[in-house]
Amino acid sequence: MPTPIFVTAASIAAELHQAMLEAKGLALTAKNARALAVRAGSKTVGFKAITHFIDELASDIIRQSQYINGVSEGLSQQAVSLWRANTAADKFQWIERQQLAHGESLRNAMRTCYDEREHLSQMLTRGIRELEAQLEEGDKHIRTANLIATSSKVEASSAGDFRAQLEVIAANITATANQIRQHLSTARRLLNQKHT
Amino acid sequence: MQANIIYEDGDHRWIMFGRDPNKSDGIIDTNQYMIQSGDQAMLLDPGGIELFAPMLSAVLKFVPTDQITHLFASHQDPDIISSLGLWDQALPNAKLYSPWLWESFIRHFGMERIQYCPIPDEGLTLGLGRIQVQFIPAHYLHSSGNFHVYDPKAKILMSGDVGAALEGTDAPLFVDNMAAHTPKMRKFHQRWMPSNEAKLDWVRRVRQLDVNVMAPQHGRLFQKQHVTEFLNWFEELPVGIAIR
Repeated sequence: MPTPIFVTAASIAAELHQAMLEAKGLALTAKNARALAVRAGSKTVGFKAITHFIDELASDIIRQSQYINGVSEGLSQQAVSLWRANTAADKFQWIERQQLAHGESLRNAMRTCYDEREHLSQMLTRGIRELEAQLEEGDKHIRTANLIATSSKVEASSAGDFRAQLEVIAANITATANQIRQHLSTARRLLNQKHT
Repeated sequence: MQANIIYEDGDHRWIMFGRDPNKSDGIIDTNQYMIQSGDQAMLLDPGGIELFAPMLSAVLKFVPTDQITHLFASHQDPDIISSLGLWDQALPNAKLYSPWLWESFIRHFGMERIQYCPIPDEGLTLGLGRIQVQFIPAHYLHSSGNFHVYDPKAKILMSGDVGAALEGTDAPLFVDNMAAHTPKMRKFHQRWMPSNEAKLDWVRRVRQLDVNVMAPQHGRLFQKQHVTEFLNWFEELPVGIAIR
């Protein structure tokens, strides 16, 4: 059964909210990694450099998740308004077919309703395109996260006594990137499903 | 949706809408009313979202949309006013009169264009076309902010849930025998109405009015002789029984 677009948009907003929380966790991981790298000294210079990228990546994901969240919420509200306009338009069309004594008096309200429906429909189409583009952008961040995770593992392997701790951090980055990827792919799947 | 003219004097009319044979079985049958005078009309308790299309269709047989200048919602229940979001599209210039208490709740039904006119607790008198209608306090009957509408010229009291009976859509328009009708009202009033004090206050108020027709939101209407019988019956009926 097709899902109402306002349900989809709200669900996408929820997924992106989760992604944002994961990214906040990633930012914390970056801080821990940096502290550890400082303590470890010269053996972890490479890892320390990577922590800046992790931090930057986390900030980008948080910013983008918040943006997509806003777009999704706006889209959900527009979709509810469109649903109401559609409902009213359907009822008006039914009434129009009745050939009522004063049916003509509804003309202005009908025109306003149809215009509003058209306007909302266009806004919704634009909003969906914007969402698609933003989710695409999110994929790029995940690819970057994967590269960082691989580099972290490599750097961790040459960190001597700190190897085990840095490996935990590298694993953490990989796990978080996977979680965020999961949320983004759920969001995309929601967007690609059939809508009413 | 059936439409019955229950009062007509020149351009002053009361029309009752209801007994819709096409309504879904699961939803309670409701009476909607329209008062017309001159070039203005007011819909009283215009009904739930499910009824919007048949109701608008029925109304447009009598009056154009630009003359439906007022809406009235006796209280906040969905069978009273959940259609508001759609009336908002059809009657963008209308005013909604409803208890002040429920404004921020009723707005949840969707209201961007229609103007909310809060009725103060003590009620008010409103000019409609060439007549005046009174919003009579009926608080706690059953809602904590609740009004009925009295038209002193037509001598009709729209009494919301007071006098309501849950009957089929084939029930006659008017009560013909109170003894046979009271069993159909008893449980509804005892369970829905929470306060004996509020009930007695309402009975006292209504006894001061000259009522030819009492028109509830569900079930049959009462003509003058049955109004008196109803007031006597209701006065004696213990209400608010669920906690006993």
